[in-house]
Amino acid sequence: MSIPTLQGLQTALSGLLAEQQALDVTGSNITNANTEGYTRETADLQTNLPITIPATNSITGRGAQLGTGVSVGNISRIRNSYLDAQFRTQNSALSNASAQAEVLSQAQSAFNEPSSAGIASQLSTFWSAWTSLADSPTSEAAKDAVVADGQQLARTFNQLSAQLSTISSQASEQFNSLAGPGGEVENYASQIAQLNHQIKLAEEAGQQPNDMLDRRDLLLDKLSSMANITVTEQPDHTDTVTFGDAAKPLVEGSSVNWPQALTEKAGGQLGALLGLTGPKGALTAVQTSLDGVAETLAGTVNEHLSTPFFSGKTAATLAVAVTSAEVRASTGKAAGGNEAALAIAALRGGVAEQDYAGLIGQVGSDVRTAKDDQANLQTTVTAIGDQRQAVSGVSLDEEMTNLITFQRGYQASARTLTAMDQMLETLIEHTGTVGL
Amino acid sequence: MTERITNAMVTSSLLNNLNSSLASLERTGEELSSGRTILEPSDNPYGASQVIDLQSQLDGLSSYATATQDGISWTNTASSALSSINGIVARVREMLVQAANGTNNQSDLNTVAQEVEQLTESVKQDANTQYAGQYLFSGTSTTTAPYQPGAGDEYQGDHETISRAIGPGATVTISGDISTLLGNGEASGDGKLLDTLRTIAKNLRGGTAEDREALGSTDLTKLDANTETLRQLQSVAGSTTDQLQTALARNEDMQTTVTESLSNTQDTNIAATSVTYANEQAAYEAALRASAKIVQESLLNFLQ
Repeated sequence: MSIPTLQGLQTALSGLLAEQQALDVTGSNITNANTEGYTRETADLQTNLPITIPATNSITGRGAQLGTGVSVGNISRIRNSYLDAQFRTQNSALSNASAQAEVLSQAQSAFNEPSSAGIASQLSTFWSAWTSLADSPTSEAAKDAVVADGQQLARTFNQLSAQLSTISSQASEQFNSLAGPGGEVENYASQIAQLNHQIKLAEEAGQQPNDMLDRRDLLLDKLSSMANITVTEQPDHTDTVTFGDAAKPLVEGSSVNWPQALTEKAGGQLGALLGLTGPKGALTAVQTSLDGVAETLAGTVNEHLSTPFFSGKTAATLAVAVTSAEVRASTGKAAGGNEAALAIAALRGGVAEQDYAGLIGQVGSDVRTAKDDQANLQTTVTAIGDQRQAVSGVSLDEEMTNLITFQRGYQASARTLTAMDQMLETLIEHTGTVGL
Repeated sequence: MTERITNAMVTSSLLNNLNSSLASLERTGEELSSGRTILEPSDNPYGASQVIDLQSQLDGLSSYATATQDGISWTNTASSALSSINGIVARVREMLVQAANGTNNQSDLNTVAQEVEQLTESVKQDANTQYAGQYLFSGTSTTTAPYQPGAGDEYQGDHETISRAIGPGATVTISGDISTLLGNGEASGDGKLLDTLRTIAKNLRGGTAEDREALGSTDLTKLDANTETLRQLQSVAGSTTDQLQTALARNEDMQTTVTESLSNTQDTNIAATSVTYANEQAAYEAALRASAKIVQESLLNFLQ
C-alpha cells in the first residue's frame, strides 16, 4: 500500500483548521482580558492518528507511520481549584472583618470623641457647673447652669443611645435584606443551582461548558463573602455548596435549600451582622456599657441630694428630674450651704467618667482590631487573587505572542497546501502528455 | 518557573499601591491640618481614653482655680472686715483706759458711752459684710445678716461652715461663724465682744463707783480676752488666704503639666509630621509617574 495521493492536502487542511481554532481561542482570551471571573483557555493541539505504511524497504523490511496532521483535542480552562477554595475562605473572613469594621466605625462616630461635643466634654462642663454652684449656692444663674448642663448631658446620652439602636437595627435590616426572600443569598444560590443543571447536561453531551463553569465560580466567589462556604464537586460535575453553619447544603444539584437558620458562627458578612447585634455582640456590649455609665452617673449624683437630680437608669431614659428652682447645693442646711455641690463636683474623674473613658477605649480598640483584621485579610485576599490571576488571568503579551505563533502556523499550513497543489498539478497536468 | 504576570495583576497592584499611598498622604494631611494625632478613638484607643481623663483633669483644674480665686476674694473681704473690727476694738480700749483713769466727769463718760455704742453698731455692720450677695459671717445662712442693727444682739446665723474646692478631693473652709467673737449680746452674759461693749457702755453711763471700778478692771480684761479671740480669727483668715494662694499656684503648675501631657498624647508633632508629609507626597508622585509609564507598556506597541 502506498500513500493516498490526496493525503497531503488533508494534512495541510487539518493544520489550517487547527491553527484557525487556536486563533479563535486566542481572540476569545484577548476580548475577555478584562472580564470578571474569566478563565483563560488554551487550545490543546494533538497529532492525528498516523497512517501505517507497510514495508517498502526490502533490505530492512521495516515500514513506517506517516503523520496525518493536527487537530484540537480540547479547549482547556486553566484554573486551580485549590486556590479557589483558599480565596473563598479568606474572602469570607475579609467580608466578616469589613462588616464589623464598618458597623463598629459607625458606632465610634456616634460617640463623637474626642471632641468638644461628646459626653466626656459635657460631663466636664456639668461638674464645673456644680463647682460654680458651690461657689455661689444662692445664685439663680448657677442653678440654671446646673440644670441646663445636666439636661444637655442627658440629651446627649439619649441621642447616643438612639444612634446606637439605629446602627444595631440597620445591621439587622441589612442581614434581612441579604438573607431574606429575594435577597442576594437566594439569588446567588438559585443561579448556581441553574448552572449546576446546565453544566450537568453539557457534560453528559460530551461538551466542555467553560463559560458556564466560569460563571459558576464567579457566583461562588460572591457567595463566599456572605458566609463561609465549602464547595464539593460531585461526579456529575454539579457543585454541592454548604453555607455558614446552616444545617443542610445551600445548593445540592439543581435544588436550593433556603432560607435556613444561621448563627454568628456562619462567618462572612452575615455572621458578622448576626454577631454584632446578638446578645453577646460588640454593639450590644457598647449599649450595655453606656447604660451602665448613665446609671452610675445618676446614682452617684443623686446620692448626695435629698431630691434626685437625675431620673432614669439607662442612657435612653436619663433625664433631669428637677427645675432650677428645686436645685440645692446642700441637703438640709441653710441657703449658703454647699457641701452637696462640693461632693458632686468632686465626682469629676470618678467612676462614671472612668467607665466612660474605658468604654471609649474599648470601642476604639474594637474598631482598631476590626480594621487591622480587615487590612491583613485584604492583603491575603489580594495575594491569593494575584496567584489565581497568575494561573487563570489573560496576559496580553502572551496572547499577542500566541496570535503571531498561530498566524504563522496558519500561513505555513497554507503554504504546505500550495506545495501539495503544485505537486498534484505536475502529476495531473504535465504527466502522460508525451508526444502530444 | 517564574509566576505569570498578567496585565490585570499589574494594574490592580498599581492601583492598590496608589490607593494606599494616597490614603497615608490623606491621613498625614488630616493630622497636620487638625493638629491632632487622635482623630477617632481607634487611632489610639488607650490614648483616646487618656485624652478624656486629661481633658477632664484640665477642665477640673480651671474650675478649681475659679473656686480658689473666689475663696481668696471671700477671705480677703473677711480679713478686711476683721481688721476693721480690730481697729474699733483698739479704739474702744484706748477710750476705756482713758475713761477708767478717774479724771472724767459723768458727762464726758456719757459722750464716751455714746461713741462706744456707735462703734458697737459699726462692729455689727462689719460682721454683716457681704461678698457677692452672701453674708460672710453667718455660717451657711448666707442670705441672713448675722446681726440685726439696733439693740438686738442675737446672732442670726448658724454654726455650719462653707468650703471651697481647691483641688480633687481637697477643700478649704473659708467661713467662720463670727458668734465666737461677737456672741449674743449683754442679755446672754457670754462675755463675748458685743456683751463686753454693751457692758462697757452701761458701766460708762452707770456713774457708780462699782461701774468706774469695772471699767478699769473686768471690762478691760474682757476686752483683752475678746481681742485675743479676734487675733485668732484674723490669723485663721490669714492662713486660709495663704492656703488658697498656695493652692492656686500649685493649680497653675498642674495646669501646665496636664496641658503638656495632653499635648504629648494628642497633638501632632508638626515638624516630624511635615517631614513625613513631604516624603509621602514625593512617594505618591513617584508612584503616579511610574504607574503612568508602566500601564502604557505592552507588546502591542512593538508589533508591526
